[in-house]
Amino acid sequence: MEREKMSLLTPSAALRRRYRRDRLFLLAGRLAAVASFSTIGLIFLAILYTSLPAFTQSCIKLPIHFEETAFSNENLDLANYDMLVAQALARVIPGVTDPGEKEELLEMMSPGAAWRLQRMVNSNPKRIGTVQQLWLPASADIDMLRKGKFDRTTPERRRRLSRRQLKWYDQLNAEGRIKRYFNWVFFTAPNSTEAELAGIYGAVKGSLLTMFITLVLSFPLGAGTAIYLQEFAPRNRWTTTINVTISNLAAVPPILYGLLGLAVFINFFHLPRATPLVAGMVLSLMTFPSIIMASRNALAAVPRSVCDAALALGASRMQSITHHILPAAMPGILTGTLLGLAQAFGECAPLLMLGMVAFVGNIPAGITDPATVLPMQIYLWADNSGQGFPEKTAAAIVIMMLFLVIVNTIVLWLRRKFENSHPHTS
Amino acid sequence: MKKFILFLVLLISATPCFAQNQRRNISIVGSSTVYPFAALVGEYFTRTTGNLSPHIESTGSGSGFKRFCAGSGLQYPDITNASRLMTSEERATCLANGVTQIIRIKIGRDGIVLATSRAMPKLNLTLQDVYLALAMQVPDPENHQRLIANPYSRWQQINSALPNVAIHVYGPPPSSGTRDAFDSLVMEMGATTFPLLRKMKKENPAAFKQAANRMREDGRWIDAGENDYLIVQKLKTNPDACGIFGFSFLKQNEKSLQAASLNGYLPHSANIAAGKYPASRSLFLYAKKQNSSMVSGLPAYLQEFVSQRASGERGYLARRGMIPIPAGEQRRNREIVKSMQNK
Amino acid sequence: MSIHIFLLLTLLTAVAFQLGRMRAFRIAAHSGGLRKMHSLPRHYGSYTALRFAVPAFILAGLVTLFADNIAMHLVWSSLPEQLRTLPEEQAKLLKQVIIHTSANQPAPGNSASATAQAGWQLKQLTTGALRLGWTGSILLGTLSAGLFLKKINCTLPARRTMEKFMWGILAACTGVVIFTTFAIIASVAVEAVRFFQFVSPLEFFFGRTWSPQMAIHAGQVGASGQFGALPVIGGTLMITLIAMLLAVPTGLFTAIYFSEYASSRRRHLLKPILETLAGIPTVVYGFFAVFTVGPLIGHLGLLLDVETSTESALAAGVVIGIMIIPYISSLSDDAIHAVPKRLREGSRGLGATRSETILRVVLPAAMPGIIGSLLLALSRAAGETMIVVMAAGLAGNFSFNPLKSATTVTVQMANLVGGAGTFNTPSTLAAFALGLLLFLFTLAVNIIALHIVRRYHARYQEGM
Repeated sequence: MEREKMSLLTPSAALRRRYRRDRLFLLAGRLAAVASFSTIGLIFLAILYTSLPAFTQSCIKLPIHFEETAFSNENLDLANYDMLVAQALARVIPGVTDPGEKEELLEMMSPGAAWRLQRMVNSNPKRIGTVQQLWLPASADIDMLRKGKFDRTTPERRRRLSRRQLKWYDQLNAEGRIKRYFNWVFFTAPNSTEAELAGIYGAVKGSLLTMFITLVLSFPLGAGTAIYLQEFAPRNRWTTTINVTISNLAAVPPILYGLLGLAVFINFFHLPRATPLVAGMVLSLMTFPSIIMASRNALAAVPRSVCDAALALGASRMQSITHHILPAAMPGILTGTLLGLAQAFGECAPLLMLGMVAFVGNIPAGITDPATVLPMQIYLWADNSGQGFPEKTAAAIVIMMLFLVIVNTIVLWLRRKFENSHPHTS
Repeated sequence: MKKFILFLVLLISATPCFAQNQRRNISIVGSSTVYPFAALVGEYFTRTTGNLSPHIESTGSGSGFKRFCAGSGLQYPDITNASRLMTSEERATCLANGVTQIIRIKIGRDGIVLATSRAMPKLNLTLQDVYLALAMQVPDPENHQRLIANPYSRWQQINSALPNVAIHVYGPPPSSGTRDAFDSLVMEMGATTFPLLRKMKKENPAAFKQAANRMREDGRWIDAGENDYLIVQKLKTNPDACGIFGFSFLKQNEKSLQAASLNGYLPHSANIAAGKYPASRSLFLYAKKQNSSMVSGLPAYLQEFVSQRASGERGYLARRGMIPIPAGEQRRNREIVKSMQNK
Repeated sequence: MSIHIFLLLTLLTAVAFQLGRMRAFRIAAHSGGLRKMHSLPRHYGSYTALRFAVPAFILAGLVTLFADNIAMHLVWSSLPEQLRTLPEEQAKLLKQVIIHTSANQPAPGNSASATAQAGWQLKQLTTGALRLGWTGSILLGTLSAGLFLKKINCTLPARRTMEKFMWGILAACTGVVIFTTFAIIASVAVEAVRFFQFVSPLEFFFGRTWSPQMAIHAGQVGASGQFGALPVIGGTLMITLIAMLLAVPTGLFTAIYFSEYASSRRRHLLKPILETLAGIPTVVYGFFAVFTVGPLIGHLGLLLDVETSTESALAAGVVIGIMIIPYISSLSDDAIHAVPKRLREGSRGLGATRSETILRVVLPAAMPGIIGSLLLALSRAAGETMIVVMAAGLAGNFSFNPLKSATTVTVQMANLVGGAGTFNTPSTLAAFALGLLLFLFTLAVNIIALHIVRRYHARYQEGM
């Protein structure tokens, strides 16, 4: 048997096994990291891709004759705006006489076309008597066709556009009367039953009003409680119980707060259902624990020496807190609050119980007007099987994520800014 | 720091500035079948008259009546939509709670459809088939004189002409008016095809109701919530499931869903309007006359609902799948609403 | 409160502050400099401001809240006899009608109806009461602040009083938070107790049939109303288990990679992203589950010829798993990162490889934090609502097949309470019982977490 040359520098079999295990371990870690990031990344790419068509809207150019005969009534709202649209369509596509076919022709336009004409006339009655070439919104089906999301090969009985409508579409398209525009409506309009008219501004406003209530209630109360518990409260059994309760509350599922809100705010106090007021109150109950815990951590992280120095120089307890500890802890308290609010912003489970699963067709003006919030709008649209709604849902998600990214960037900036610098020691 | 605290204090105390005391918008609850129509009318109403949008919840006819009748005043809804008539018991609750002046408007007709995904073979059902598939207790196939627990798990076992697919039906919960209509129009009619149950109906109506209307609870019948859109979504992705909902939801999703025929009739507008399709029923709207003097838009909303451009033969509701009622009834509706306004 | 009066009061508060401060300076100048004063001038200023603001704002707030009630009372007493003696319900209605007319109608003529007259009167009176009240609040504040200004002298302990006031506010905050929290938990418990008057707890916890949709009116036959929560609890546990099976290994390995292997630059870059991901609203994942994962599992099932349901426990579980990965990895990363460097250096110095160091030294030291993060993720998964409402089923099947439809506690809660406005049926009350159950579950998980953390902590401290 040949004696193997052993060197301390060549690893033994056991060591090689250990190294191999080491490499495997690293590989597992890398794979896990890649997997978790790429899955979530893919979800977002998929949603982003789905959302793209929602940001444009197909419009059809029509010569609208605001004839004076149509406005014989004193009240401009009573004029038949649908007829104006129908007449304009007849001018562009002549020769349609059958009432059924006429209806099909009008169905190519969104009802929003007539509503827009009404708004135009109301804002400037001088338009009556003029002729204007206007780009008016097409129906969701035509919109989908323009965006290439319509399968012409499906049998006519089962598809949503008839053979005639396709022919007219091709005719209009050849004349250059169909064009895609940036979808401003989506950012300025409230919810609608028609996908091409549905917007998120109603929901965004509802969310902002709700967040306003949540901020106003949860930040001062939460931060005040944290300061009291951390700096003033005696250490005894009661405060221990309170501490444990608060940390438990942070883990309570959000839907329970909906139950509470329904039982207490709506059924007992008779506050109006589905309003930002009630939603904000319920969500602030949900954010209390996280704000209190984050604030207490921030307060506890301020070096005691700062406080001691202040006390030694003759400051009172309250002065040492308001002048030294609180300013140092403020970035932490603020980040905690922002993160809590961000969580409340995206939460809609409790609101399911407060009557927010509802149709609201205008933009809420105040905290006691019925409203929905952005995540609830997403939920409602995700269920809506209408043409064009999945794209709107994805687009609403993109907008909501933008809000959250902004909040998180602010948090990050706050943290980086105050990470290592104590405002009073630097 | 101080400025910040000051800002917060200001913020808190400024909150009441934004509050309004009274509800200004119309509040609507009720049937999930009527919900899309109500939302559509609400939208036309809001956009063309500039009124505040109504707040419309889909709660089901039963829960709708419950909330509607819970009291008069602004905490309670002004309108409830229903896919069945108000029962005398519910009317009594209403009266007891001071809801005395109620107007009822029949807004249109609707067919209850049993829809499946297009991926599934088409179902041609008789009412008896449906009853046998869904009731908790059915007549024993060997001995028609006694009832046994429902033994069927596949459509083919009921009728060899039916496809070999598992029975899996999403239906409306008892809080829904569609459930009541389905019970009386389909389940009871299906049950009375058996002599045993026909006899029972004459002799012991309560027991018959139990036998005909009690749905099976072994997971083949699923009480879905009051969100018909959700059921539609579930059907699209679930090839062997069957869903029960209003005709308009089928019409909106004809691309991916197909309806089962009942006793040989498909749910088409003509069949439903003529009452040939067995599961046809009317849709209603109940409004509180009293509230028209508290909520500004209420008469105008109702007026929009019964107007020619909404409920008419070629109105926008008909385009969405509501079957219009005859012109005479429509005129009567308009008069009812007018009388409410003139009051 | 009208925004104008609010701004005016704010402005006056600022004036009061300035006056108090200036007065303090003047007194100090007379009596031998600021050193002789008990407190700083701004304390006197703040105290004066407080003296103005507290009475003024409270009175103005009260007036704003109750002016219409007072006005209504006056209007009501001037109404004709037959209207005043209406039954309570109708009287309430009439009042709402009057409020409505007051908000929407112009001045009526003499011939107008009693309600229109009353509405107009109400509007006048309310405006009058508001103006009176607001003027009163300004006067009251000025009086109170003025009296105080007179009292300012060298020995007045303005600072101490201010501090007591602040302490009071902080304590009141705590009181409000604690009180509301407990009151609200109690209210859910009360509703749950009402439920248990209908259904025995034994049946609820051990029954195997969940069929809560009972008849809603007489003459209707609903479900038998069986409230055995086992299928619902089973579904929740199964979905949670699937989620944890997916998320725990992935999340932990991600955390290990992050804290032990990734360069600090990469960690700095990716960590905030991870935290953002942990904050993604769950409705987004619900959308993903409905439109992507559910159909995907259905297609896979068709390919493999297995019967699947699109609302399978698997789909919901997988998506919840994806949702909680960032929680686990972010929190565990914090825990692992917090392990002192010297432990690692010691272990490496003794010849252990990196993976051995991690497995035998770092992870045990970080265990309390890791377990905390896992348990937090567990209660998140069990209490998750939107994903399961959108992707899981409604029927309670008592089965352990993850490909079949499953329902969860949260889905049932949302489904039972959804549109209901009254809680007098067992089926709506059942939601509260389920809620209580969920609450107790998360409570238990949390207490266990605290306990484990404490034990590990103790052992580790001894060992070190």
